[in-house]
Amino acid sequence: MAGTEVMRDLQSAATSHRGDRIFNRTITALAFTALAVLAGITVFLGAQAVPVFQTLGISYLTTTAWDLTTTPPQAGIFGMLYGSVLLSVIGLVIAIPAALLLAIFMVFLAPPALAKVLTNVVDLMAAIPSVIIGLWAFYILNPVAEEWEILLNQYLGFIPIFQNNSGNFLGTPFIAGFVLAIMMIPIITAVSREVLARTPPELINASESLGGSLWTMLRYVALPYGRGGIVGGIMLGLGRALGETIAIFFVLKIVFDTNWYQIIESGGGSVASLIVSKFGEASAGLEIQLLLAAGFFLFVLTLIVNVIANLIVSRTGRLQR
Amino acid sequence: MTTMLFDSEKIQSLRTQEPQHPWRRRTPKFTWSVALAVVIPALIAGYFLFATAIPDPIVIIIIYLPLQLLAAGVAAAVSKGKNGVADAFIYVLAIGGSIFSLVILISLIVTLFINGLKAVSVSFLTQNNFYISPSTSLEYGGVAHAVLGTLLIVFISMLVAIPVGIATAIYVTEVRGRAVPYVRFFVQAMSGVPSVVAGLFILTVLILTGAMGPSAFAGGLAYAILMLPTVARTAEEVLRLIPEDLRTGALALGSTRARTVLQVVLPAAKTGIVTAIVLGMARVVGETAPLVLVTGTSDATVYNPFNSPIAALPTYIFGNVAQPFPDAVTRAWGAALVLIIIVAILFVIARIIGRGKVK
Amino acid sequence: MSTAEFEKSIEGLEVELSDSRAGLPIEMDARDISVWFGKRKVLEGVSIPFPKKTVTALIGPSGCGKSTFIRTLNRLHELIPGAALAGEVLYEGKDIYSPDVDPTHIRLKIGMVFQKPNPFPSMTIRGNVLSGLKLSGMKRPNHDDIVEETLRAAGLWNEVKDRLNAAAGELSGGQQQRLVIARALAVQPHVLLMDEPCSALDPASTLKIEETIRELSKEITIIIVTHNMQQAVRVSDYTAFFLAAENEPGYVVEQGPTTDIFGNPRDQRTLDYVNGRFG
Repeated sequence: MAGTEVMRDLQSAATSHRGDRIFNRTITALAFTALAVLAGITVFLGAQAVPVFQTLGISYLTTTAWDLTTTPPQAGIFGMLYGSVLLSVIGLVIAIPAALLLAIFMVFLAPPALAKVLTNVVDLMAAIPSVIIGLWAFYILNPVAEEWEILLNQYLGFIPIFQNNSGNFLGTPFIAGFVLAIMMIPIITAVSREVLARTPPELINASESLGGSLWTMLRYVALPYGRGGIVGGIMLGLGRALGETIAIFFVLKIVFDTNWYQIIESGGGSVASLIVSKFGEASAGLEIQLLLAAGFFLFVLTLIVNVIANLIVSRTGRLQR
Repeated sequence: MTTMLFDSEKIQSLRTQEPQHPWRRRTPKFTWSVALAVVIPALIAGYFLFATAIPDPIVIIIIYLPLQLLAAGVAAAVSKGKNGVADAFIYVLAIGGSIFSLVILISLIVTLFINGLKAVSVSFLTQNNFYISPSTSLEYGGVAHAVLGTLLIVFISMLVAIPVGIATAIYVTEVRGRAVPYVRFFVQAMSGVPSVVAGLFILTVLILTGAMGPSAFAGGLAYAILMLPTVARTAEEVLRLIPEDLRTGALALGSTRARTVLQVVLPAAKTGIVTAIVLGMARVVGETAPLVLVTGTSDATVYNPFNSPIAALPTYIFGNVAQPFPDAVTRAWGAALVLIIIVAILFVIARIIGRGKVK
Repeated sequence: MSTAEFEKSIEGLEVELSDSRAGLPIEMDARDISVWFGKRKVLEGVSIPFPKKTVTALIGPSGCGKSTFIRTLNRLHELIPGAALAGEVLYEGKDIYSPDVDPTHIRLKIGMVFQKPNPFPSMTIRGNVLSGLKLSGMKRPNHDDIVEETLRAAGLWNEVKDRLNAAAGELSGGQQQRLVIARALAVQPHVLLMDEPCSALDPASTLKIEETIRELSKEITIIIVTHNMQQAVRVSDYTAFFLAAENEPGYVVEQGPTTDIFGNPRDQRTLDYVNGRFG
């Protein structure tokens, strides 16, 4: 019914080139919104970074401080940028093996029904808002992780990364990194699962017919074949981790003293969380500008990571098709 | 006469053959080694867990896991030869890795329900927080204002992101201008913008310039930035599935391109577009950082999207975590439960619609 | 085909329980093989002996279960979800489906070449030849010698000897197929299964592979599925003719020396098929 009406409508419609032109122009203009937003972020946040550099110079990026009561004020986000990277690395060290093993289990080992359930589980995990993960981490993960950290310190404390001088094991980069891992696992798993499931059956057949075992098939056939896609998935997860704000805010004690490697020592840095944690008290123009400038560098960092990730994912996608 | 013909009597007699799966038959040696490889490490770990004071994490990571790997390796070596050992390790590690992720998820869901249900009641779902302080007991106050705020903010973001997102998809699949690869690239890049940066952008443009104060409208615009890429990419995938015949058919009848898109292509893709919208909503509904920056919060129910700070579920949770008052924390759990249920409902809707579309 | 039709179709046919293969040493012996996918039976009562160091061709129209049958001979069949099987496949006198037999061991002894060339794209030519050693964990010394020897046996050495470290994907389809033959030979199989190895290739490549098959049969037992009757005549010593009525399981109509199957078939349907009257 509706179809015939549409057809009649179409027949009676006068061919209007002018209408088409307007339509095309409107659509084209709207399609460039994404570019406009990206440009807007660059310009507006970048503009706030200019006065910051005029006041503080390059030391804003190379030092770690946040003391606006002195004259001239001291502020530097190096420790925050470094902290964001450190937390992400900790997260990746946990998330990559967990996600790859989960993906391998789903594609090659689990019965199809279980694999389907796990696919939904992973999607569900990806959908949990970070504020809820932060809430859970603050009340449930913290005490458990604290126990692990004390044990790590007790038995492996001679290794520099497991040193702890303060006796406080909460608010550590390890816990924050663990929380990031929880957020990266579903992303990396979803991409890896898809890539591994696309291993051509004829290659798996070839491996089987040459006496290959599951391990050698993975090692020499499936993982090399899916490497590009998996790396892209990891980069996408990294992009998410670098920008994560709220959950980190709950579990990381932000200190303006670069924590280089003591991952179970209380205190660390994260650009994104810095913005939220300082925003409430920020009143004076300069402090807001400092935070906006921090946001600008966070934006640039995540943009680079995401562009590389997408290039890798789409390039391997093309090669394999 | 040297060829061999098929033997009808023999074939008839073979009709009684039953389908079998000989590869599923196990030698007793295999069955026993697997059983022992599962039971022995579990028993030893159980002993250390319950009968000694060694801390649980050490038992699991230093004692159980290596023991389980060793046992699986020995079982494989005995029953399958040395080539089976690596496979046994993968089995153990893959199952272990999956359990690790599952434990986290189950812990999340279970604690969310246990703690959240303590707060949820009729009053919790229908009242606002106007006369409530963090120390007020749980019988009073609720999240109704935050739910309304979330809905209002998401609604505003939909007003912006859906037309723009669909237009972007139409540009890529229907108008097919020269800039298609660039548009897709920008949309992809935009999907990586951290939510806190989206909030800062709206803060700079709207609030710091004095154009308006913290409000639902500002929050909606920040959400729109996050929602747009999801809607655009999903809608693009959906429009690609529309058969080319439909377009050429309409054009052949003298329709303009604009009418073809608006009256033929989009209606044909209706369910898919709805899926795109629902996924976009699910993407933003729990985002907290932008709201902290641009909506402020409120204990009262706010209907005006332009002139007042407004509460939302994520900021409500944010404000109640780490409060020294147990009831405030329980409220946070309750709000988290309400939020996750909203997310779950959106996902189930998307799944149901999406399933219909594929068939 | 109903049972009545089935009875009719076999009426008056003489049955010989053995042929000229009776006295030869047998490498593999498929006995009463029936195959199911889910509830559907696709192959019924196939019994074929494969004498050592001979080539046996499996011919027949599409969909009669030849490829399915050949995959039961090295236990690749069981990897398909829903697959089931009855009967036994004897190799060195022992059923390869016996529970104490390791399928990877069987697949090493009974190599396979597939319809579509499937070299590993992430490996070099040399890497592909040696991939079976890595995948199976087999230890063999002198890799350079293995590469040269197997590529020569597959008739590819002269074309690739100067670019052994090039990616396998750079080779033509015919070269790729000879590469995967070399790859299969590198693990020293006793039997080589070939599932329509030339169907995706041009005539020149086909001819080269047929030469290779003839050469290889001096050393190993070869079983080849082919749609190409001339090919069966050119390369095989024995032939088995498969047939299936629509939606019925396939079976072997007639088998024996290739010269007899093509020159002097006893079943009318064999005669029709080898003369190209159907299929």
